[in-house]
Amino acid sequence: MSRGFRPPAPPRLLLGYGIVVAGLAALPWFTELTVYSHNLMTLAFLSIAGALAWNWMGGFLGQVSFGHAAMFGVGGFVAARILLAGPVPAPLAWLAGGLAAGVFALGAHPTLRLRGPYFSIATIGMGEATRLLFTYWEDFTGGSSGLSLPIQTDMKHHLYWWGLGLVALVAAASWLIRHSALGLQLLAIKADVDAAADLGVSATFYQDLVFALSGAVVGVTGGMWASYFSFIEPNDMFGFDRSIAFVLMAVIGGVGTVLGPLLGAVVFVLLRQYLLASYPQLYLGLYGLLLIFIILFEPLGLTGLWLRLWRRLPWARAEA
Amino acid sequence: MAILETRALSKQFGGLRAVDRVDLVLEPGQILGVIGPNGAGKTTLFSLIAGSQAPSSGEVLLDGRRVDGKPAYKLVRAGVVRTHQIVRPFPNLSVAENVAVGAMHAAGRAHGPVRDRAVEVLEFVGLAERARAMPGTLTLAGRKRLELARALATAPRVLLLDEVIAGLNPSEAQALAALIRRIRDERGVSIIMIEHVMPAVMSLSDRVLVLDQGRMIAEGSPEEVVRNQAVVDAYLGESHRKASA
Ligand SMILES: Nc1ncnc2c1ncn2[C@@H]1O[C@H](COP(=O)(O)OP(=O)(O)OP(=O)(O)O)[C@@H](O)[C@H]1O
Ligand SMILES: [Mg+2]
Repeated sequence: MSRGFRPPAPPRLLLGYGIVVAGLAALPWFTELTVYSHNLMTLAFLSIAGALAWNWMGGFLGQVSFGHAAMFGVGGFVAARILLAGPVPAPLAWLAGGLAAGVFALGAHPTLRLRGPYFSIATIGMGEATRLLFTYWEDFTGGSSGLSLPIQTDMKHHLYWWGLGLVALVAAASWLIRHSALGLQLLAIKADVDAAADLGVSATFYQDLVFALSGAVVGVTGGMWASYFSFIEPNDMFGFDRSIAFVLMAVIGGVGTVLGPLLGAVVFVLLRQYLLASYPQLYLGLYGLLLIFIILFEPLGLTGLWLRLWRRLPWARAEA
Repeated sequence: MAILETRALSKQFGGLRAVDRVDLVLEPGQILGVIGPNGAGKTTLFSLIAGSQAPSSGEVLLDGRRVDGKPAYKLVRAGVVRTHQIVRPFPNLSVAENVAVGAMHAAGRAHGPVRDRAVEVLEFVGLAERARAMPGTLTLAGRKRLELARALATAPRVLLLDEVIAGLNPSEAQALAALIRRIRDERGVSIIMIEHVMPAVMSLSDRVLVLDQGRMIAEGSPEEVVRNQAVVDAYLGESHRKASA
């Protein structure tokens, strides 16, 4: 493997990106998507965007957060409150939710001195504390009876394109971050935080920055989620299994790779749909097993598997 | 005025005084050699100067202004950078990317895009051909050059080199010694250099400082220091004194 630095986006990659995004945008007009698959894809888009953004923190920077549900919930409830307060265009409310979630993520600043498992454990605590706080803050979240949003006709249908647009943005941002000066510094911090500091990299600044950016994107997906279901409830929005889901999606697809989390999110959403229908009691346990298998045998997840297969193909061998 | 100075700089680890009231002076454009037995506190002294660790007491002055207690990344921006005795490349970044990380923080002292400066430094240290390789594929000599290149890319005014020559074969050692001299002569960088390889210390250093158990036991020109009885007793041994006499 060899890499220089900051290569321009190769034309083939740009073309592929354009075709996939345009194809997905046109899909509902060309094929008769059932409402079920239309909706499933919408939810998949939200998951993909969240998983990609989680990966900026967990993959590029190497700080594995088990608390991202906090930003999802904050984004969702802030957006919901704004939509309940008056006639505001939904996208503005989502954006405000994202902003609030990004600022909220900065509250994790004290935990950023912790690294590795210590950081992860701290984020579990922060996530759960946030969940309890918002569950008890009934004036804002409606407590355990939740909030119902004003119904907007066609919102659920249109969210397909909003979700797709968000994925397109976040995927492009992931590629750009990974191939920019920012990305290099994140990877340096991940590899050796002290050696990075000895070269002038301010680890805490970049950690704050990336946690805020990642939290903001997850917050936007929370707002879209609220609009999609027209009803949200703190125990669900801030739920620990949601935090786990971000980790799982990234791990399944390939932590730290640019597009792995996208793949992982697709697989995760499909698997969940199937498992929830067939084995509702077992499904979390099955995810646990999957996680252990991946970490033991293929730490780069599906991306790693793909690379392995690719190298075995005759033309790849001829090239090497 | 000295470019870098320490005053009674000390570091306590539990009951151990790893660095004990060290007063060091580095004049602009000088190479100051630091020698001493294993565990003398040489690396710890670097950590204190470079901000990797906070001193227990004492002062570090850069251009006469106190910088002790500042974090490492701020000292890099102020112009002080260190290398590591055991090289610490980022294994997930290419050689060029490793150097680019350093080049991003040459605040105000370097011009042009990060990429050009990284390439320039890679050429200077002789790693241009390996720019796209991963650090794990370099020889030890290559990794030592990479460690040096990353630090150099920050466009330092004071460069702290921790045993960059030790462990190399004689021809590699000579090449690296020549490189260190060029860094001072061509770039005007002031250098403090920890080294066990005495021929390199003797030929490169303007002055030499000897540490033993955290304390400065001698300071002077290379010739003065190797004749000093305390230094011979603590570090060099009798055979060296006879050989160099
Ligand atoms: N973080 C630390 N905590 C406790 N003790 C330490 C720490 N770092 C260094 N020491 C101790 O301080 C003393 C000085 O160590 P240091 O690494 O500075 O020596 P050195 O002169 O660089 O030795 P060498 O020539 O082997 O590199 C040693 O006794 C070492 O064990
Ligand atoms: Mg040492």
